[in-house]
Amino acid sequence: MIRAKQIIKSYGTSQNAYPVLKGIDVDIPEGTFMVILGASGSGKSTLLHILSGLECPDSGSVIYQNQDITQLSDQERTAFRKDTVGFIFQQYHLLPHLTVEKNVQMGADLVKNSAYHELIEAVGLQDKIKSYPSELSGGEQQRVAIARALAKKPKVLFLDEPTGALDEQTGRSILQYISELHQQWGFTMIMVTHNENIAAMADQVVIMNSGKITQVKSNPSPKHAYEIGW
Amino acid sequence: MIVSFKDGVKLFGLSIVSCCAVLVCTMFVNYQQDLMGIADKITTETAQMLYQAQISMGKVICFISGCCLLSTSMVLMLFYVKHYIDMHQSVLGMYKAMGYSSFAIAKHFWIFGVSVCIGCIAGWSLAYGICPLFYQAQNADGIFPQIEVTFHPSLILFLIILPSLFFICVAIGYGYFKLQAPVLDLLKERKELHRRKRHPKKEKPSFLQGLRQSILWEKKVLVFLMTFSAFCFSSMTQMAFAMDELASEMFAVMLMGIGLILAFTILLLSLSTVVRTNRKTIAIMQVFGYTDQVCQRTILGSYRPFAYLGFLLGTGYQYGLLKLVLTLVFAQVEGIPEYHFDIGNCLISLGLFLISYEMVMYCFFQKLKKVSLQSIMIE
Ligand SMILES: Nc1ncnc2c1ncn2[C@@H]1O[C@H](COP(=O)(O)OP(=O)(O)OP(=O)(O)O)[C@@H](O)[C@H]1O
Ligand SMILES: [Mg+2]
Repeated sequence: MIRAKQIIKSYGTSQNAYPVLKGIDVDIPEGTFMVILGASGSGKSTLLHILSGLECPDSGSVIYQNQDITQLSDQERTAFRKDTVGFIFQQYHLLPHLTVEKNVQMGADLVKNSAYHELIEAVGLQDKIKSYPSELSGGEQQRVAIARALAKKPKVLFLDEPTGALDEQTGRSILQYISELHQQWGFTMIMVTHNENIAAMADQVVIMNSGKITQVKSNPSPKHAYEIGW
Repeated sequence: MIVSFKDGVKLFGLSIVSCCAVLVCTMFVNYQQDLMGIADKITTETAQMLYQAQISMGKVICFISGCCLLSTSMVLMLFYVKHYIDMHQSVLGMYKAMGYSSFAIAKHFWIFGVSVCIGCIAGWSLAYGICPLFYQAQNADGIFPQIEVTFHPSLILFLIILPSLFFICVAIGYGYFKLQAPVLDLLKERKELHRRKRHPKKEKPSFLQGLRQSILWEKKVLVFLMTFSAFCFSSMTQMAFAMDELASEMFAVMLMGIGLILAFTILLLSLSTVVRTNRKTIAIMQVFGYTDQVCQRTILGSYRPFAYLGFLLGTGYQYGLLKLVLTLVFAQVEGIPEYHFDIGNCLISLGLFLISYEMVMYCFFQKLKKVSLQSIMIE
């Protein structure tokens, strides 16, 4: 269970602080697939960064199995991320000097996962294994980022717009693959998206508006990636 | 303005190195000139011989320090210009895409030469500050007639104006050459990817091995600079120890000063570049949960073997050089002791090197730890 309590976060100096998150409360049971929807600038990415321990809130707590990660030291938080978190960034953040294979290995080596080639194949990049990120299209880069995060077999996977750069066909097949792994490995999955149709795949849907959660919906019968609209 | 004035002046490392070069050259050339002025007043045979030796010695010192420091400045400047272009690729690409010609952009790079000019002027002024002391020390021997410091205006041309112009031209030319890259490559920040020949090895390198290789490979100049920095440290300090015994204390202090300044300027410059260029890598590794120690070992630690190699090379170099100078130049002069390799001095120098190198590394490790995840999130 991941439990966020009264998360507040602002940017800027203390005189003219710009509030981004204004008191977020959310519970995410283990193994759930949660989708976060909301307008651009409503604070979705920021929330994801805080939930995953990339960033600390100004106040409030994020509790994983009785452990408040906002109270951890930098070192402990690094260890926590290593053991628990997988992250797919909105801007991919691949390492430009390393090949696709080495980028994926970055995740795989952490958990001594030698089967990372399957992941590269599953995202359809087996032909580009020796290419560098600057030689890939936006969608291909996004898929490398997905494979890299999955390769470390995270307990909780955070996805920030993972299908933003993909066409319908590729998007569906990647989503289908991720949700199969989700079933198989049983990780918790928290995804930010602008595509409201994807919400139909999730167990829980959270809607954000200017730094607040305005609605939480449970979905008793989640659909497959090929059953949803696009 | 494509290159801000700040970007140019930031190169103070370059100023320091060129300052050292011009300082040494001005002092010695000035002294040589004055010495040659009194050549006909030297009558005794011993004095004649010492005069010859003094002139050769001056040439050797000017040549070694001048050439060595000059080429270092050149490498530093080219390195910096390349680094600047790498870091600002997309902006420069945008200018090109809008129709600016490569030359129109590159001509702004003259600013990078300015730091050399500043260094030259500083070195030249400093030299005339020290000259009276230097002359006093030389006059104290009483072998030659008393020499007064004379001002030689031609040195302004040869040691300030021409070098500055030369460096400015090279900066523009090199920038022009680098900006010939296709617009899209610049815009998309496509690096020249150096594809290495893959050895058909059975075992695959891990991510960390791959990263280490790519870090060393992508910036080969940095490897050179790290090696060179240790080389300067080792050769100059050991030479200074030897000079203290063989020649004068003045020489020893000067060599030591220049060696240390050179070594540390280059080391600090290279290390801050390492941290700056690898900021993103470090941040993403932290996201994935690689510890600070692992990041440090992979990124900063890759250079350690090269630093120690540099130290070794420097030791060999100073021994060879001193042996050569003492056997060739001073062969005829009596009273110059034979030169032997001094293991004690070498160990002292190694000890100093170990302590200072590891201390600098430690400071940069602290700096590396501070790379915040946030800083890359908003890029
Ligand atoms: N490091 C930062 N410094 C200052 N302001 C920031 C920073 N990060 C985010 N913000 C601001 O916080 C607000 C929320 O940003 P966030 O990235 O969380 O939005 P988002 O919901 O993910 O939007 P999008 O759907 O466009 O990705 C934005 O207005 C943004 O300008
Ligand atoms: Mg976002």
